[in-house]
Amino acid sequence: MTDACVVVNGLRKRFGPTIALDGMSFGVRPGLVTGFAGPNGAGKSTTMRVILGLDAADEGTALIGGRPYRDLRRPLCQVGSLLDASALQPGRTARDHLMWLARSQGLGARRVDAVIEQVGLRTAARRRAGGLSLGMRQRLGIAAALLGDPPVLIMDEPFNGMDPEGIIWIRALLRSLAAEGRAVLVSSHLMSELQDTADHVVVAGRGRVIADASVARLLETASGRRATLEEAYLELTRDAAGFRAAGAPEAAL
Amino acid sequence: MRRHLRAEWTKSRTVPSTVPLLLGVVALTVAGGAMASAATTAPACAASGCTFDLTKLSLTGVLLGQAVVVVLAVLAMSGEYGTGMVRTTFTAMPRRSAVLAAKAAVLTGLTLVAAVIGVLASVLAARLILPGNGFTPAHGYPALSLADGPTLRAAAGSVLCLVLVALLGLGVAAAVRDPATAIGVVLGLLYLFPLLIFVISDQAWQRLLWQVSPLNAGLAVQSTTDAGLPLGPGAGLVVLAAWAALALLAGGLRVRLRDA
Repeated sequence: MTDACVVVNGLRKRFGPTIALDGMSFGVRPGLVTGFAGPNGAGKSTTMRVILGLDAADEGTALIGGRPYRDLRRPLCQVGSLLDASALQPGRTARDHLMWLARSQGLGARRVDAVIEQVGLRTAARRRAGGLSLGMRQRLGIAAALLGDPPVLIMDEPFNGMDPEGIIWIRALLRSLAAEGRAVLVSSHLMSELQDTADHVVVAGRGRVIADASVARLLETASGRRATLEEAYLELTRDAAGFRAAGAPEAAL
Repeated sequence: MRRHLRAEWTKSRTVPSTVPLLLGVVALTVAGGAMASAATTAPACAASGCTFDLTKLSLTGVLLGQAVVVVLAVLAMSGEYGTGMVRTTFTAMPRRSAVLAAKAAVLTGLTLVAAVIGVLASVLAARLILPGNGFTPAHGYPALSLADGPTLRAAAGSVLCLVLVALLGLGVAAAVRDPATAIGVVLGLLYLFPLLIFVISDQAWQRLLWQVSPLNAGLAVQSTTDAGLPLGPGAGLVVLAAWAALALLAGGLRVRLRDA
């Protein structure tokens, strides 16, 4: 944990009666792909938003290289992030979207064209972002994350909307980014997506960490009968699915 | 701050709605003024000895142009909340008040350009139209000219009004986020006071409402004849500026304190 460059410590947050984060703590180390798994509502996206300074936690800290995100001077050069691929102005072209982001960090057009090339968006660069398929918008979001050549990458469900070829591409990209020594945090609600990608997995449920271990250990521990991460995950999260309402009994669905 | 300005300028430059809206500001400002000039004729009044405030008449279109300015200003902020792009903006630029300041600066520049063109063209249009309606030097109406001190003040003040309305719109949009609500609130602030003043008969109330109304007070600067307005041109602009400052302050606080 001491060499982790993203440290999340004791995050708590509630939205009205709903407890979103209930003591979330973990670290993300350089050189590894850390998978961030858990059912919908486990607090993965909220944790990422808190790390990125978008949401304020009620308690706890999230530090990047020892500093809160909001104190970073050129944040995209230190942390690249992809939260919601559709969070862009649909009328602006893909290249112009990257262009304003580059300007905000003092980067030039050459860097924009380099990341467009890297994610394979050259033919779509002059098209309006609103007309791109979800898979292409994910690639655009990944291009934005890579723009500042950051040592830390945080991606929320980057596999969403990707075709099989795209999924294989992302896996290879994430592996190569970690191999370059970067810290990579990738969330997914599908363990199978992480199986061949992550070195380490943080499993969240009900706003806290249920398991924090290497993929190898998750597969070998306990009963020893687990063949896949999916099975290990299901066993871990059996009781942890969904939101929990404070003071209210678990809703019967 | 320089990076923030460049980012926000690039955003404005690359969103397709900016240029049409700026053209809309110019077109409505000029059209409104030209129509008012064309619909007013001198002879009826000349007999009774009253005088027209032709400068004010020529700048009537500011009342219309400002509505488009409001849309431009609100979209600069609410457009990002609507699409969720504001989260991308705040991850790139976590100092949120600096983002709002950069947006205000870019918006001021864009509005300034459109307002100067619109106001100058309005004065020119009136100068061309009015003599045909009997407002000739022979009847005691010299041609409108910016070399005339009060006319220059009215024109420059109208430009300033449009810029302040833009800042008011940006501040309200930052405070309420939803574009439809923001446009409604700003247009309400602008047009509701004049309506109330029209409806209410009590003179003391009329006067008070007039003095705090962003639209009435702000546009007092257009008056070039001694019309006995409740506020002078300078004080009027201060009232409008105070509204804009208040809105920006509220918007800045909301943007800083709330989750994006």
